Order: sequence, then structure tokens, then C-alpha cells
Amino acid sequence: MLLEIKSLDSGYGFLQVLWDISLSVDEGEFVALIGPNGAGKSTTLKTISGLLEPQGGEILFAGDSIGGLEGHLVCRKGVAFISEELNLFVNMTVKENLEMGAFTVDDPARQKENLEFVYELFPRLYERENQYAGTLSGGERKMMAIGRGIMSSPRLMLVDEPSLGLAPMLTNEVFKSLRTLNKRGTTILLVEQNVGKTLKTSSRAYILEKGKIVLEGRSEDLANDDHVRKIYLGH
Amino acid sequence: MANVAVESTIDESAIDKVDQTIEDSFVQKAVRWVFSAGGITICLTILIAIVASIHKGPYILVNTIITGGMWALMAIGLSLLFSVMNIAGFAHGEYFMAGSLTAYFVMQPIGKYTLDHPESFMAYVGPLIAILVGTFVCAILGVITERLVFKQLRIRNREGWLLNCFLITIGLSVIMQNGHQLIFGADFKGILAYWDFPSVPIFGVYISMDRVCAFFIAVLTMVGFYMFMMFSTAGKTIRAVSQDEEGARMVGISVDAVHIMTFALSCGLAGLAGASLLFMFPSYPTVGVMPLYNSWFIIILVGFGNVAGSIPGGFMIALFQVLTRSYFGEGWEAVVPVLLISLILIFKPSGIFATKVRTVWDQ
Repeated sequence: MLLEIKSLDSGYGFLQVLWDISLSVDEGEFVALIGPNGAGKSTTLKTISGLLEPQGGEILFAGDSIGGLEGHLVCRKGVAFISEELNLFVNMTVKENLEMGAFTVDDPARQKENLEFVYELFPRLYERENQYAGTLSGGERKMMAIGRGIMSSPRLMLVDEPSLGLAPMLTNEVFKSLRTLNKRGTTILLVEQNVGKTLKTSSRAYILEKGKIVLEGRSEDLANDDHVRKIYLGH
Repeated sequence: MANVAVESTIDESAIDKVDQTIEDSFVQKAVRWVFSAGGITICLTILIAIVASIHKGPYILVNTIITGGMWALMAIGLSLLFSVMNIAGFAHGEYFMAGSLTAYFVMQPIGKYTLDHPESFMAYVGPLIAILVGTFVCAILGVITERLVFKQLRIRNREGWLLNCFLITIGLSVIMQNGHQLIFGADFKGILAYWDFPSVPIFGVYISMDRVCAFFIAVLTMVGFYMFMMFSTAGKTIRAVSQDEEGARMVGISVDAVHIMTFALSCGLAGLAGASLLFMFPSYPTVGVMPLYNSWFIIILVGFGNVAGSIPGGFMIALFQVLTRSYFGEGWEAVVPVLLISLILIFKPSGIFATKVRTVWDQ
């Protein structure tokens, strides 16, 4: 198991959001975490990536406990987090942003290889190489954030709502790039509200409601599940 | 008539289009910059400087350039502190004081030595050593402050951070001023000159060697600082944290380390200014107050968190002071800049170089 979460509790101060969450992601898998607004999906990712301190339970990454570890140390272990707000460096150019993404990579050859891969995956970023990240359009920002994540050659990538605020065409493009990334060997844990598309893309999924995991299974099975069809797919 | 109206609308839309194209020519960019608030102010300042120097003599220009560089250094540090850590530093003058005090104690034996051996290399290098030690001591002092005070506050409470830090820095300032008085006494601790050489004539004005050196130190430091921030990895991490702390953490930057670096840099720059200006401002407990006010004037003038803008801002404030001193007299020196700052706050609260401080306040 690459990532293993055992009965995790987490939240913001006195407000507990996650209750006894257990999930696991195997090396090379594409796992989705879906659920309605306010279920605690983003909180889960923030806790794994070290931006939030867990209130209980255990997070194991490649066998090591990373629960409560500071964000930058979690990143060094090989976890890249692409947040909902993207957290780009708006007054830096696209290239500088990507270089900062490779902050934890010491080998220049590896950096160059990653940069080439990002530009290959998102040619749009190559065109805008010297433009400030703050001037990019919504879709380009998403690509920029994913690209910055790739630059650290992560073993596990946590992606939070990449389809948020994007036109369907661009959403498809972003999903396609995630699939390419997964085929290249990066494990992905994706949080999404776009349930239909996510279940088609991912291999396995967890359903989170009110801070608890209510369902889990292979994506095809979940897509045919009565509960999921009624509530998330609407047919 | 109808034709004219149609033509004018077409013209306007054409102008809009020109404004919106991303790939503008350099001339277009320059023209647009000149007509922005920052451009107008800078051009006006240069104009005023030229007119005044013709009217009163070139010493106005020379004095402006020499003191402006040092105020810019102070303001850069203050600006950095604000943009990276959201700290409104009101203790910054005390690092200036600490810098000048350290330089004084280092310079004391060096001065005695060079008096006996006027031809030794110490006469050239000694003052530099004093200034560097002053800078270094202040950088360390800054790191100690960060670890002992701001880190502790960060761990415990991040609510009302801006106001708390404001109060803490004022407290620090009081402590450091009184500490100086308690340990070293309230008398003036100054030197006659760093570099005891004949004055250099520039445009018919005789300028002491110390002032010339102070100017070169300021320029070199500014260039060095710019290179550091733009091209070194460490500088880039500082910029990254100032733009998005969470994002910096996500790419693996240790925000803690960046904070230490920021404090070292910022306080080091204040110490450098204090040490370099020891020949003008002898060290005493409240020597830092005036430089602190000056650097706040600069920051308000150019906009909070605008590090690069501090450099033209420093020269502008220095020019206003030199002008008031020579036209209205010594006592008005603080009045005119303050008046100017008040006007800026009323009409252009974000400073003359309208920058987005969104990332700073969003943290």
C-alpha cells in the first residue's frame, strides 16, 4: 500500500470534520474520493498533505507515518497536493512557478526531464512560459498547478476538484492529462464533485458523506450502485 | 455629424484593443508607464530635482542621492518584513541603532590603530570591517527576535496577527531603546570619519569620502539584493512565501526557514544603513526613530509590500527632505513629507505604484 489511512479524525480547531476515515491507495492506482459539498473531501486531502494536523488516527505513506508532519516535509516524501485554490505564485512567471515546483528535486537532469514532460502534457504552458501566473485563464491555471505538482516527481498526487469552474471541454482535457500521468506511473487520489466523469476515469472510488466513508468499491460497480445513481448521477 | 461620432467610437475601440494586446512594443509600455501614477510622480520628482539643483546648486542632487540610498535600504527591509511575514515593523529603527552601536565599538580600536599607523591598509579596510560586523550583528539580532518572539506568537495565535505584531514591535522598540540607555548610557557615541581622506569634488561640491562610500555601499547592496531575490533559489523561496505561503509549503519550501532568512536580511539591511551612516548619526538610544519614520514614509508612498518600489521611494523622500531643509529650514524637515503622506493616503491609499497586496492580506 502506498497510502494507508487508519481511522483518521480531522478538522479545524473545535470543528471536527472527519470521523474515523479509513482508506488506502495502492501504488499506480487512480482512486477517486467523491461526495457532496461539505463532506470533508478537501479536509481529507489537506490532512494528508500536512496542511492540517490530524486530531486522531494514522496516515501511512509508503510505510512511514506522515500524520502531523509539516507540509514541506510531506512534500519531500513524494506527495504532491494540488489544492482547490491552486495556490499559484501569481507574481512569478509560469517557468518560475514550475521551477519552484521542482524545489525538492536536486538533480538538474531530472528537473529538465520533468519540465519537458509538463510542456509536452500542456503545450499551452510552453506558449505562456514567460507570462505571469496571475494573468493566466482559469483552465491554464489548473494546468499550471498540475504541472507544478508534476515537477516534484511525486509518487502520489492529491488533486482537489480540478473540474471546478472549468468548461466541459477543458475539464475533459484536465482529466485526460491526469490519466496520462497515471499511466506514466504516478498514483492519483482525486477529489471531485463531477461524479459521472470521475467514475469513468478512476479505477476505484470512495464515497464520503458527512465526514464518514459510506461506500467504497470499483468505479464501475459504484456507477451502477442504486444509492450512487439516485443521489449523484440523478438517474 | 453622425460620421464624426462613428469615427470617434471606432477610434476608441481601436485604442482599447491596443491597450489589451499582451505583446506591446517597448515604447508603448514606456509611454503607458509615464502616464501611470508612479510614472508621473517619478518624472515630476526628477524634474523638481533638476530645477532645484539649478536654482540652489548641485549639492541638492548630491545630498539626495547619498541619503536616499540608505533610506531605501531601510525601506527594503521593512517592506520585505511586511510582504513575507505581514509584520508592520516599528522596531526597525532599533536595528539601525544596533548597527551603528556595533560599528562604533568595532571602529573604536580600528580608529586608534590607524591614528598611529596612517599608512596601513586598515585605514582603507577597517571601516568596511566595522560596517560588515554591524550588519552581521543586526542580522543575528533579527533571527533571535524572530525565534523568541514572532515564532512563538505564530505557534500560539494567528488571530489579529497584524495588530498584535504592530504592538509587539513597538514594545520591542521601547525595550531596545531603554536597553541601550541602561547598558551604554544616553550619550552620543560617534566617530569623526570612517575614511579620513580629503573630500572629493563632484560638480563643484566637496563631498566627504564617507558619503561617497555610503552611496556606493547602498548601490552595491541594492544591486546585490535584487540579484539575490530574482535569481538565487533562496531569494525565489522568499518571493514564493510572500506570494502564497500555503503554495510554498505545498512545493516543499520550509516556511520556517524562509522566515529566519527574511528577518536576517531585513534587520541586516537596517543594521547596514545604521553602520554606514555612523559618521552622520552618532549612536544614541533614539537614533533609529528618524530613519524608521523615513522608511515608513517610503513604504506608504510606494505601497505596502512593494519591495522594488522602495528604491525610487527612498530617493523621493530624501529629495523632499533636502528640499524642505534648504527652502523652509531645518525644523520643517518632517512636516512636509508627513503632509505629502497624508495627501497620498487620502487620494491614493494603495501607494503610487498600484500593486496588488491581495496575497499579503489573504494569508
